[in-house]
Amino acid sequence: MMTARTLLSRSAPLLACLGLLAIWQVAALILNTDSFPTALQAIRAIPSILGDKESLINILASLRRMAVGFGVAILVSIPLGLMMGRSRNVAAFFNPLLMITYPVPKAALMPIIMLWLGVGDVAKMLVIFLGVSLPVIYHSFQGAKAVEEKMLWSGAAMGLSAAQRMVRIVLPAALPEILAGCRTGLVLALITMITSEMIARQSGAGNILFNALDMGQYDTVFAMIIIVGAMGIGLDAAFERLRGRLVRWSEPRFDMPLSFA
Amino acid sequence: MKAEMKVVPSRPVIQAEPERKPAIAMIEIDRVSQVFQTSARRDHLALSDISLTIGDGAFVAILGPSGCGKSTLLYIVGGFVKPTTGVARVKGNAITGPGPDRGPVFQEFALFPWKSVLGNVMYGPRQQGVRREEAEAQSRRLIEMVGLKGFEHFYPKELSGGMKQRVALARTLAYHPSVLLMDEPFGALDAHTRTRLQNDLLNIWERDRKTVLFVTHSVEEAVFLSDRVVVMTRSPGRIKEIVDIDLPRPRRRAELLLDPRYQKYVVDIERLIDDTGEEELRP
Repeated sequence: MMTARTLLSRSAPLLACLGLLAIWQVAALILNTDSFPTALQAIRAIPSILGDKESLINILASLRRMAVGFGVAILVSIPLGLMMGRSRNVAAFFNPLLMITYPVPKAALMPIIMLWLGVGDVAKMLVIFLGVSLPVIYHSFQGAKAVEEKMLWSGAAMGLSAAQRMVRIVLPAALPEILAGCRTGLVLALITMITSEMIARQSGAGNILFNALDMGQYDTVFAMIIIVGAMGIGLDAAFERLRGRLVRWSEPRFDMPLSFA
Repeated sequence: MKAEMKVVPSRPVIQAEPERKPAIAMIEIDRVSQVFQTSARRDHLALSDISLTIGDGAFVAILGPSGCGKSTLLYIVGGFVKPTTGVARVKGNAITGPGPDRGPVFQEFALFPWKSVLGNVMYGPRQQGVRREEAEAQSRRLIEMVGLKGFEHFYPKELSGGMKQRVALARTLAYHPSVLLMDEPFGALDAHTRTRLQNDLLNIWERDRKTVLFVTHSVEEAVFLSDRVVVMTRSPGRIKEIVDIDLPRPRRRAELLLDPRYQKYVVDIERLIDDTGEEELRP
């Protein structure tokens, strides 16, 4: 049975979307300029983009680069972050490096990377990789550092080797924190994906967007913004579902602990 | 009930099984000292020249104020901390690291939060290669023994402190350590829960009489539970005196609290601990 309240809280994101579109619609009607199409005009342009084979190939190519960059970044960053969290020497070596690179916008490196690797997939995937890896390393590091020593001792007493403790205790114990980093990383992957395509305009969703802007097709520009935004929301929601399944144990099933001595 | 309160020897394991060799030293602590470096780069002598022998099946409490190094001593026996000098042995073998023959139970519970109660208890046996079905059946029995039947599929986060410590005890018992190392296990619990767990621990212990090293700062707890109380002083951590607790077993709280012998042990040991040592101030 779904009460009115749960129905309302479930549909809150949808209502927020509709509200935003309504404000957009009204604002565009009031302003009435070419460069700001109404929400309806933008939405009407979506099917023609998604129906176009060329655009679809472009968008899929973007997603593929993003997936590779994100995947490789996670595979490298989680082990590195965990090792930093458990070894003072590893942390001492990598920490200064991360502190310097963390605040640098990764897209700013794009011109140099393009110079070295060309404007193709590899350069863009590298930028995405750089954008994703830092938050994932940082969160894995924090998560591993916070693992209770006594939990590791308990594992050691059961006969787990140092490597087994890393994989079977540090990794699961730090997982909520790691996944928080991955969630940030996923959004950053999307951002760096679009930015890299803005700079190296050759293919991809970012390329469609900026080509349309050059040609003054503002409804297409806004339609692409909606599409990219929807992709972000969809990816984030999918990831949250996965995260919820993986770390259900860290969320209490009951508001209060059961009273039982 | 009163009539049955015959005087039982304090360590009846030896008498009950005469075919067994006379009391082997389960744990030997041989001139162990521990020096820590404080943040000010000053050396802090946490344990100074500790020697102690614990026989098989003995319940020994290590009693002392905070900062007397009693937990450190337990960690050295556990193999979690290397002593600066001296050596600790278990069954005659020098301790070089943790092992399943010495099972710790910590004040912080240290349960695996991503595992259910059953998953936590099964972890040790599974690690030791026990088949899943067998490990599960065994673990379910242990969970029932510590009074948590029905909670097998709960996660640690859903349990109260007392329940968590019950799980921790079951998890450690599940891999059959020869020695239980209990590090202020009931220190984080409220008085009522603490009392219940003390009673239950004694009941469980009296079934198989494992060797227990029990660190506490509660005099009553030490006297109530153990055969011997090792009284420590701090700065540096030294053994002040070892008191044999000659009280009958099985012990029943209601009877013991009224027993003048119990009361005398408590008062005597409290007197041993000097007033300055009782302050809960760490250096």
